[in-house]
Amino acid sequence: MATTTPVPTETECPPIDFGELKSNCVAPRPSIMGQKRGLRSILWLSFKGIVRGLLTTLSYFRRPSTVVTQQYPENRDTLEMFERYRGRLSLIHNEEGEHGCTACQICERLCPNASIIITKDKKNEATGKPALDQFIWRQDTCTFCNICVLVCPFDTLEMTGDFESSVFDRRLLVFNLNEYAGPTAGQLDKLEDDELAKAQMKPMNKYQGPVPMCGGEMDGIPKLDVEKPTDA
Amino acid sequence: MTVEVSSLKELVEQASGDDRSPDTQEYFVNMGPQHPSTHGVLRLVLKLDGERVLRCIPVLGYIHRSIEKISEHMNYMNCVHLTDRMDYLSSIMNNWAVSKAVEEAAGIEVNSRIQYIRTIFAELERIQSHQLWWGVLGMDLGAFTPFLYGIRDREVLNDVMEETVGARLTMNYVLPGGLMADIHPNFVHRVKEFIKYFRPKLDEYDDLLTNNVIIQERLRNVGILSPQTAVQYGATGPVLRGSGVAFDLRKDHPYGVYDQADFEVPVGTIGDSWDRYWVRVEEMRQSLNIVEQLLDNIPPGDFLVKKLNSKIKIPEGRYYSQLETARGVLGVFIASDKKDEPYRLHYRSPNFNNLWCLEPMIKGDYIASLIGAMSSLDLVIPDIDR
Repeated sequence: MATTTPVPTETECPPIDFGELKSNCVAPRPSIMGQKRGLRSILWLSFKGIVRGLLTTLSYFRRPSTVVTQQYPENRDTLEMFERYRGRLSLIHNEEGEHGCTACQICERLCPNASIIITKDKKNEATGKPALDQFIWRQDTCTFCNICVLVCPFDTLEMTGDFESSVFDRRLLVFNLNEYAGPTAGQLDKLEDDELAKAQMKPMNKYQGPVPMCGGEMDGIPKLDVEKPTDA
Repeated sequence: MTVEVSSLKELVEQASGDDRSPDTQEYFVNMGPQHPSTHGVLRLVLKLDGERVLRCIPVLGYIHRSIEKISEHMNYMNCVHLTDRMDYLSSIMNNWAVSKAVEEAAGIEVNSRIQYIRTIFAELERIQSHQLWWGVLGMDLGAFTPFLYGIRDREVLNDVMEETVGARLTMNYVLPGGLMADIHPNFVHRVKEFIKYFRPKLDEYDDLLTNNVIIQERLRNVGILSPQTAVQYGATGPVLRGSGVAFDLRKDHPYGVYDQADFEVPVGTIGDSWDRYWVRVEEMRQSLNIVEQLLDNIPPGDFLVKKLNSKIKIPEGRYYSQLETARGVLGVFIASDKKDEPYRLHYRSPNFNNLWCLEPMIKGDYIASLIGAMSSLDLVIPDIDR
């Protein structure tokens, strides 16, 4: 036996008066060996406890349907996320491919970690109003706090259920959300000339434009081939 | 009162100086920061004599993200989402703590529907936190089965919350002045289904772990924390209640609508790991009772009393507010200089204080007991460092 076995020392502290307890309390359940029991009783209770635990596990072999297993990624086609699930951010485009973002930059100002960068055309030639140029979203710094969706006065943003966003190059996680650079759907409708309205919608690639880190050339890193993003 | 601050080097040099035993050599071992049973990046410097722990010096700072400093440059709505990343298993309660502090300081009154929903979500969050703890405790002690059972039931509950909130871990649901969204139309029905599902499962938990004599003996008389020490070290939550001190903010200083629910507070006797284990298992039952009582009485009303993009300004001064999370008292201190950003935001996190109870609990005991005792403390490391 070791010569010195240190004994835990009770901290020297006068007994504390805890006063009247406001809570109505439940006393703890005694353990098997914590009670004064005979050896036979202890052995029986211990045996019973262990066997009941084993039987619980075994009983699930009898009813395997109650065991939950998510068959992901096999169920990819049928998998449905909840309506409110916060996945990839997206700018809502209507059937004609027009968005409703006026580039008011409220979401950019209230984003807690500057994950949204908006550049705008200060005065559109046709409408005479400011128009969205690029809506850049940095998925790599986004915390999915949902504040941009909540504060948007025109309800043009939404969080989609798309959660599979792994890429091999993190520069791919910074991209444009808008499909064209130009005025909103409402402003385009006001233009009487359809041809003029079409002309205002300059098509936008996901990785187009001077987006920070976005596939652009960096020190020692060649330019990324943006024509072929990873998802295929 | 004087406080002595000593560096790790001084502590180790001091501890290595007093080698008392003539026949055994005392030595130091680092447990962590990558040890699986520390549940994160916590480093414990252990001074050992054979297998006995003579000193246990926690070393922090491996997951420090300066949440308090970042908050000084954010408005109060944005501060909330960072608290998800502190104690990630009670994120809604953390959100609520900040929102409560801001609301009390800025004088925003929230309606009773918001209070009901917040209370229900806090209790559901407490249940899922304890479910995970229960499974992990079994895994730390060498039983892998409970982990799968705990996670299975937590998955059911997470789905219920995900339908309303939209996220599973970093929820960011409570805002100063209300909630991010109203409850989903299915919510009440699905919570009722969950309660019906989970009550029998708690008996299954008892069969698997609670009534097992091996688990009981790994926990009984291990890591005894006397009520005096617990109060001295500022422990709160199930750790304090396990030591026999009946202090629960939900009863003693009711917030939300806890005063309208009838529930009991489980309290231990001697403060060993078994008492803490039992307190948490019983808390799950009590939380189910609370949710069941409140669920049918959610009054109608708005889910947000303040416009979202309006600036919340707090009058100059210092404000403190606290509530009971799954691990203890989370206090929020705000020093304001009349702006819409805090001048200083400090969190009194429960895990930080609970962690220091480890040394008085475990001094002179075996390393194997240290694992069980630490698991019974239910530490979440990101909450310690913030």
